[in-house]
Amino acid sequence: MKGFVPKIVAFCCNWCSYAGADMAGVSRMQYPPNIRIIKVMCSGRIDPIFVLMSFMEGADGVLVTGCHIGDCHYINGNYKTQNRFEVLSEMMNELGLEKERLRLEWISATEGEKFANMVKETVEQVKKLGPSPLKPVIE
Amino acid sequence: MNKSTGKCYLAWATDEKTRERGSSGGFVSAALAAALDKGIVERVLVLKKHGVFKGTPTVTSDPKEVLDSAGALHMTAINLAKYVDSDVRIALPAKPCDARGAIERAKRNQVNLDNVYMVGLNCAGTMHPVKARKMVKEIYNLDPDAVLSEEVSKGKLIIKTSEGEKSIKIDELERQGYGRRDACKYCSINIPKMTDLACGNWGVPHDRKATFVEVLTEKGEEIFKNAVDAGYVECEPASDKSIETREKIDQAMKKLAHEWHEKLFEPINKLSDSERLEYYINAFASCTGCGACKKVCPPCPCGEDAKCTMTEFQSEAHRIHMFNMVRLLHLMDSCIGCGRCEDVCPASIPLTMIHMRFTERIQKKLDHIPGIDMKKPPLFETELREVQND
Repeated sequence: MKGFVPKIVAFCCNWCSYAGADMAGVSRMQYPPNIRIIKVMCSGRIDPIFVLMSFMEGADGVLVTGCHIGDCHYINGNYKTQNRFEVLSEMMNELGLEKERLRLEWISATEGEKFANMVKETVEQVKKLGPSPLKPVIE
Repeated sequence: MNKSTGKCYLAWATDEKTRERGSSGGFVSAALAAALDKGIVERVLVLKKHGVFKGTPTVTSDPKEVLDSAGALHMTAINLAKYVDSDVRIALPAKPCDARGAIERAKRNQVNLDNVYMVGLNCAGTMHPVKARKMVKEIYNLDPDAVLSEEVSKGKLIIKTSEGEKSIKIDELERQGYGRRDACKYCSINIPKMTDLACGNWGVPHDRKATFVEVLTEKGEEIFKNAVDAGYVECEPASDKSIETREKIDQAMKKLAHEWHEKLFEPINKLSDSERLEYYINAFASCTGCGACKKVCPPCPCGEDAKCTMTEFQSEAHRIHMFNMVRLLHLMDSCIGCGRCEDVCPASIPLTMIHMRFTERIQKKLDHIPGIDMKKPPLFETELREVQND
């Protein structure tokens, strides 16, 4: 699709992945400006409904990020995220939404480069897939 | 769950009237009445009969009312799990889906299983009352209001009126689009091994009017012993042949369920990913958002306002209903496939089939079958593991 600019929603936890995004910025790493970061205190706060809502509101892809397993500031928040993600990704498969549109990644505060690369990869993938079928049509 | 004691009996009610009314010897009604009479339980939850097409869940402490409810109601579709009030000790006759519903509710702290005595009933399926009325009118050529009783025997559905009786094979009815509900056709859990006592007429010799009873837990043994001691029930040990026959029927029903599953799911199975999304969007497009499916759903512990109703925006629903999305998500680890949502849906959306498609993925992936034991649902389970840092 020509001229398609994907919208990506990224959920970042306050302690690791948001700091990782900060690191990418401070280190002047280049990554596509297609993402909208939503900061949450912990990745365990990300209800799978938030992800579904993002798709309904017009996101073409959603990134769920948190601290590495074992590093969660709230002890087990990211274990919960992992359980939910497993269920949610199966739901996306069954619904027929391409599973490349949803991605779970653990990013620590020092991994600015990983964050930048992840955004780059996701934007490329979503560009290939085209707009999300659940996107609202604006005339 | 307690460990299975695995003792099998043939049992029947001592009282002749109950034996006559019950579909296979009246054991279940007699045992429930005995439990109430001798104070093992304080309440019994039964279906009060209003003709053959209607039964209302009734909580009673009167043994007479329990005995009055004797006999199967194949033409009602009701799940008792939502009516179990476990503040006091309560007993109920439970089809596999009733029992599974109660267990899923127990996992969500809605039911205290210590207080619940489940007398399980073998179940090969029930019929939707509205469709059953139509069937009686069109296939049997009888007046639905004149039906006195119904009976399922040897694969035939027998309808009795004052003018005589008529029997037609259930296979034949199902070929013509009537018969059991879709959810029952592909349900493969027929013997309720998760309850305290598993009762049914499978394995009973044809010339006998008795119930085959398998004692599964200590609570089940308590009920069974009490019924025999109180003189409500007579019993004899089941022969090996009976046990074998029951097992054979169960296997045959499982096979049939599997075939129906293939047949009914085939239209969606062959769709590609994008076609499937379109199918779901079209299916949910007729949803009116009435919330009836949520109200009757046994595993759903929510009240009036819940995430599914609160995130629903009618103005956005032309793409896909958030209400249904949230319900799909929440039921992915707990849908028992009882078929109630499909029964009550005023827009006739094949909800149970859709839910089963989503649930079966998780069941396969995580090896979790809801409502069989007290294993935690995957969405509740958070474990802490030692992580080796490199």
